Amino acid sequence: MDFDPYPDRRIVGTARVPSGPQRTAPPVPVKIIVAGGFGVGKTTTVGAISEIAPLTTEAEMTMEGIGVDDPGQASAKTTTTIAMDFGCVTIDQTLKLYLFGTPGQTRFAFMWDDLVRGALGALVVVDTTRIDDCYPAVDYFERAGLPFVVGVNTFNGQLGYNLDEVRWALAVRDDVPIVQFDARFRGSVRDALLVVLDQALDKAMKMRAS
Amino acid sequence: MSNPADPDDPAHPAAPGVRPFLRNSGPGVRYQQAPPPAPPPGPLSGEQGTSLRPFVLTSGRVDGLDPNIGLETQVSSQPGAHSARLSPEKRAIVHLCGDPLSVAEISARLRMHLGVTRILVGDLRAAGHLDVHVLENDFPDPETIMRVIRGLRSIS
Repeated sequence: MDFDPYPDRRIVGTARVPSGPQRTAPPVPVKIIVAGGFGVGKTTTVGAISEIAPLTTEAEMTMEGIGVDDPGQASAKTTTTIAMDFGCVTIDQTLKLYLFGTPGQTRFAFMWDDLVRGALGALVVVDTTRIDDCYPAVDYFERAGLPFVVGVNTFNGQLGYNLDEVRWALAVRDDVPIVQFDARFRGSVRDALLVVLDQALDKAMKMRAS
Repeated sequence: MSNPADPDDPAHPAAPGVRPFLRNSGPGVRYQQAPPPAPPPGPLSGEQGTSLRPFVLTSGRVDGLDPNIGLETQVSSQPGAHSARLSPEKRAIVHLCGDPLSVAEISARLRMHLGVTRILVGDLRAAGHLDVHVLENDFPDPETIMRVIRGLRSIS
């Protein structure tokens, strides 16, 4: 071995390996939410940039009186299982970015409260043939005050509408960026996430200033 | 995308997953719709004891979650904690967290529902088996965000 990264850490006698007594400190986790309707490319987006194959976790969710349920009934709680895909990108040993792809229906809004706690921001993935799929996500993030970016997934490099038309259809504020990207390509997903991070940085600066 | 648990899938709308057989048993029961068809065994259901009544593992508790235990919260096992008397699920968590791991990863790797995982992690923390690394500030500071930006930019 011609290069020793730890010249002052050597195993002597029965001493434990260097990483033994000093356990690895956990990285600081940060997260970005990838939201959108069914089949718009959330999992593809997560998978394109994640260093691990996207993992799936199932959440058993109890809902109270949301949407179809009548909240006046004593037994208005129902339980459902939702699947969430996630991946991660190790920024360095002390910082790790998590990406959570989450279903976008209104009836899951309550679980987003848990999900968005501490999140940097969200990328709302949009398919222009079914723009209304993403309305609940846009509504939610606007109300929650979470920085978000609308990412129009250009399947096969084709964009059905121009971005102004998408902005008109979504009726989002002018300061919400709308970008087009291709969920299959890492560089494209990275650039879309960088726009989310710009928004997050703005928010963090404002929070510090106030 | 054929995972029956995916509520996005219009072909398989999310069916209430817990104790469906209670839904149409006897008079006065509120749910009168036909019982949901038995879900085909997906990759995450099958023989697992956690698939039907996951909160059995938590003695039925579904509340009392520590809101500080998030999906991305890092968890590591306490060195030297004795896990021999723990339930198999809890022991599995302690074993898995020799190196820090997020709650979501624990849930995915043990194929355990997220809510259950969070409750068990909270229990193990209270019992001194796990360190749960809770962050101080709710929203990351600008310096942290800058580091993420630089890190992502270096990805090609």
